[in-house]
Amino acid sequence: MPVSIPKSGSVAMSVDQTTDAPVIERPPRRPMSLQLKMGLVITGSIVLLGLLAPWISPHPWDTISMRTRFVPPNATYWFGTDEYGRDVLSRLLMGTRLSLTMGVSATLVSLAVGVPMGLAAGYFRGWIDEALMRLADVLMAVPPIMLGLLVLAVTPPALWKTALAVGFVYIPPIARLARSVTLTLANEEFIQAAKARAESNSYILFREILPNAWPPLIVEASLRVTYAILLGSALSFLGLGAQPPSSDWGLMISEARSFIDRAPWIALAPGFAMCLLVIGINLLGDGARERLDPRLKSRMGKR
Amino acid sequence: MTGYIARRLLFVVLVLVAVSMLVFGITALLPANVAYLILGPFAPPEQVRALELKLGLTDPIWQQYVRWAGGFLSGNLGESTLMNRPIGPLLMEAIGRSMMLTGASFVLIAVIGVGLGIAAALRHGRPLDHGISVGTYLGIAVPEFFWAIIVIIVFAAWLGWLPASGYEPLSAGFTVWAKHLIAPTMTLVFGHLAHVSRLTRSSMIEVLQSPYVTAARAKGLPERVVIMHHALRNALLPTITVLALDFGRLMGGIVVVETIFAYPGLGRLIVFSIQNRDLPTLQAAILVVAAVYALASLLADLLYARLNPKIRFGRNVG
Amino acid sequence: MLLIDDLTVRYRTPGGEIEALSSISLKARKGSTLALVGESGSGKSTVALAAMGLLPQEATIPSGRILFDGQDIMIMNAEERRRLRGSRIGLIFQDPFSVLNPSLRIGDQVGEGLVHHRGFSTRRAFARAIELLDEVGIVKPEAVAKAYPHELSGGMRQRALIAGALASEPDLLILDEPTTALDVTIEAQILDLLEQLRRQRGLTMVFISHNLGVVRRIADEVAVLYAGQIVEQGRTEDVLQRPIHPYAKGLLAAIPRLGEKKGRLAAIPGRLPDLRNPPSGCRFAKRCPFATPDSDKPQILRELGDRQVRCTNAEALRDTPWPRLSEGEQSAAIAPSPHAGPVVAVENLTKTFALHSGLAFKGWRPVATSTQIRAVDDISIEVAAGEVLGLVGESGSGKTTLGRSILRLVEPDSGTIRIAGEMVSGKPQRALEAMRRTAQIVFQNPDSSLNPRKTIGELLARPIERFGLAPSGEIPARVRQLLDLVRLPAHYVDRYAHQMSGGEKQRIGIARALATEPRFIVCDEPVSALDVSVQAAIVNLLADLRDRLGVGYLFISHDISVVAHLADRVAVMHNGKMVEIGPADEVMNAPKHPYTIKLLSVVPRVDGPAYQANHK
Repeated sequence: MPVSIPKSGSVAMSVDQTTDAPVIERPPRRPMSLQLKMGLVITGSIVLLGLLAPWISPHPWDTISMRTRFVPPNATYWFGTDEYGRDVLSRLLMGTRLSLTMGVSATLVSLAVGVPMGLAAGYFRGWIDEALMRLADVLMAVPPIMLGLLVLAVTPPALWKTALAVGFVYIPPIARLARSVTLTLANEEFIQAAKARAESNSYILFREILPNAWPPLIVEASLRVTYAILLGSALSFLGLGAQPPSSDWGLMISEARSFIDRAPWIALAPGFAMCLLVIGINLLGDGARERLDPRLKSRMGKR
Repeated sequence: MTGYIARRLLFVVLVLVAVSMLVFGITALLPANVAYLILGPFAPPEQVRALELKLGLTDPIWQQYVRWAGGFLSGNLGESTLMNRPIGPLLMEAIGRSMMLTGASFVLIAVIGVGLGIAAALRHGRPLDHGISVGTYLGIAVPEFFWAIIVIIVFAAWLGWLPASGYEPLSAGFTVWAKHLIAPTMTLVFGHLAHVSRLTRSSMIEVLQSPYVTAARAKGLPERVVIMHHALRNALLPTITVLALDFGRLMGGIVVVETIFAYPGLGRLIVFSIQNRDLPTLQAAILVVAAVYALASLLADLLYARLNPKIRFGRNVG
Repeated sequence: MLLIDDLTVRYRTPGGEIEALSSISLKARKGSTLALVGESGSGKSTVALAAMGLLPQEATIPSGRILFDGQDIMIMNAEERRRLRGSRIGLIFQDPFSVLNPSLRIGDQVGEGLVHHRGFSTRRAFARAIELLDEVGIVKPEAVAKAYPHELSGGMRQRALIAGALASEPDLLILDEPTTALDVTIEAQILDLLEQLRRQRGLTMVFISHNLGVVRRIADEVAVLYAGQIVEQGRTEDVLQRPIHPYAKGLLAAIPRLGEKKGRLAAIPGRLPDLRNPPSGCRFAKRCPFATPDSDKPQILRELGDRQVRCTNAEALRDTPWPRLSEGEQSAAIAPSPHAGPVVAVENLTKTFALHSGLAFKGWRPVATSTQIRAVDDISIEVAAGEVLGLVGESGSGKTTLGRSILRLVEPDSGTIRIAGEMVSGKPQRALEAMRRTAQIVFQNPDSSLNPRKTIGELLARPIERFGLAPSGEIPARVRQLLDLVRLPAHYVDRYAHQMSGGEKQRIGIARALATEPRFIVCDEPVSALDVSVQAAIVNLLADLRDRLGVGYLFISHDISVVAHLADRVAVMHNGKMVEIGPADEVMNAPKHPYTIKLLSVVPRVDGPAYQANHK
């Protein structure tokens, strides 16, 4: 239907033009908060160190040398050596890759299963919602580490299996979050508008809901990585993850237990490394969330 | 409200049944492996077959499940393949000792954690708050087993105040019993304090910014009354849920902590049974854990329902 | 009783320092009611908070005095101020629900002030609370006193709050939009109550509102706030009937009047100035049709007879009305196509909701229970092509449900629906594609109706794409045409929703609905979330579009004046039933159903005879 451009009114000004005034500009790009910066720096450095580990390690991580056992930290061996004479620092660096891989891959597994679960539950409601959430409840009825133990108990241990188990264990919390985000979004009027255009369910889910759901999910995912790292190393600690002579941090701590009084550095180094990584990722995640949230708040701002 | 209780109870029962199926299902997935796991990969086939028959592994799965579940309900938890003893009494002892540990830890975590959270919220933005926030930030980053290592290094190796492992029953003397309990309790408390404290703090801050608190101040009520009478009630309600969740995490925590401190509780039992492929014990132990956790959640839910007027008094007056 | 002298308040925000109030001076005489009027962003709530000493930490007060009964609040210490609050000055907030502590009983909350200010025992305070609840007109005061906030309705909660504020017998009562969240009929009751209490107790009231009709009814004097400044102050009748300051003129011209029909509403163009950097001259100048070079000089509040006005051109403008658009401005209306039959025909539509399905026990057997609500009760209605059918009702009347059921966004339980001759009910959702093109909807909440992650261009292109209404090469041109239709500049195509104002977002919502070239649009409270001055522009736009495009509307609103202004016919809904329907003039001027009569009588009006209080 052709539309004709209206003639301007007979009054000196067009009183319906409410848009002559300057635009509400986006608030100027806020500088990154200290939190975010620190998070980026810490996490970034650790990731970098892990990636470059094979090339920057001062000594080979797996060479046994009985002469250099239990050397306290000194100029040659920055973090000392362990009970087999291996350089702790080099083992630490190689272990970085293992922890990061564990954290990221396990979280990816949780996301891959949990997000669709949550989306479906939150959008379709009804029996789908009930069924999926009851499933999640059952999985959450057992503390995560025990569920992980249960799964790993029936098969010879290997690190990739641990990653899978950890991913599996953390599906329910991700599903719950995805569901609650979806529930809030599904109540927004623009979803109703989409229905009023006879859009298909998959269009609404993927083109209307998901693009709005990603930000909080990504932030939560980054924090989940820390849980995955912690759980993974706990499982390795208990012997159900990485196997010797791997230098997974949890395994390193476990092996160092017997020598705590003699050579505490063997256990302390990986412990502190893990703390640092977890703190870094937390700062990153919290900083990112703060950046996203004010925009979220101003969008649904006061009238 | 009775409807609410009934529904929750039903739910708990259903979840436990489902968990039992899950627990049984996972371990029953590969029966052949089970026998080989016990006897070793090079065992002669006849031995394997004999063990399978003995453990009833050749029956259809659902039959095995019914047998197992039925046994459970009638009080017979089966026999440990490792120790060849009935599991029931074994579990009860272990549970008792773990309860001492978790009980003490839980009380400390609840009191200190909630206290810190409230203190931080009341001094929001000021040095105390920042201090507590930084502290809790560090707290959640430290893995449990590392706390244990630190506690051992500091209190056992360095200061020599506490034994690094083991357990003595109460009958051996109170101080001895207590000493063995302190290190693992400290470890658990350090590990979980931060979490509870942070959540309490944010709940309290949210309440302090709510309209009804502003209204209370607008009525000119003394600040003390505003906080104690108005704010706390509403802030502590979600804390109950948090504490219930934390109880579950605590139960997960005992796995590592008891292993490190060689404390003979449920956690160590579970790890032992895994390391030795003692599947019946493992299944029974995990199911018991799930039951305890479910019960704790139920209690928390009921407490919450009792304290939250919206659930307790649903109907309308006006 | 309350004198505010040259008060300035600034807030520190992440974006900079905002001057929320600039040199405000107000006087509320003992025993009278002063109203503070302004739109969002005017700073009226800040005045209330400042008077109570409740400003947040981010606020600073560089200058000014606030004198309560002769004493300056600003120089008191915190403890003295605290003792004033709740005992001599009472404050009543807007939203009665969130202001009550959900975990405490009503009676306790009402009586609290007495315990702490007058040393009552809790029991005595509770008993007094019951008396007060009775005084504010609550039936069964004991039951209510023992109840919790979530068990009461909105009107009852507000009464309870009033009881609480009155408990310590204050001298001054400050009310911040106390009836905005309430239905019109309840609002009338609360206003009556306030009037009565004021007379009985000799209260001084400061009444903050954006609703000029309410202000007319309850206030002796009124002060108009714009962008943190008082622009006019005087006796209510004078200011409302003969406004002097251009902003006041504009506000009054923007309000639709019952009984005065069909002229275009005058809208105030432009937006509020940025208060981080307030202009040194007149803050309203950019939007003022009477601006002169003098307007760039700082404006002071001057006396003009018994009025105070902040305008250098006040004398010259004294009798000049806000410019009205002449009728001939509209282009010729498209005659509706000679299509036999109405564009929407609904018969016997019913929709029932089940709430709170619960589990109860009859002895040992569990039994499912639920409460049913008949949101739409056997309604039959028609909308002719190109007609505007107004649907009026209070909250809970079912009007929104009716609108959505017609479009099958909510599934009706029974009844037939025909749109543009096609049967729409009884088909599965998949078969409704043609209907979705023909019938569209405009939503109420501008913050929620647009996908925040899409650009305006994408938002408007999607309906065109979806229904294949233009080859993809032509879509950008179509989008520009749509923007033009709703009078937004073409470069908005790349903007996102959060960069636009409420009024602009609503225009986009309308443009989106028009993108499919519909013949019928359900307008679900499209202006309820907007300021009065912006409202007028949107109403004008809708009227123009109807004339030009021949689209029929179902215009749903709780605000009768707006509906009456725009609609050809009006239907009134109450508790799911349609109680009256007829040509707009008839329904407004000669209503037949008692509910309609009551509704019309309690609407606070800016025109017509001065309000006579209801005598119970």
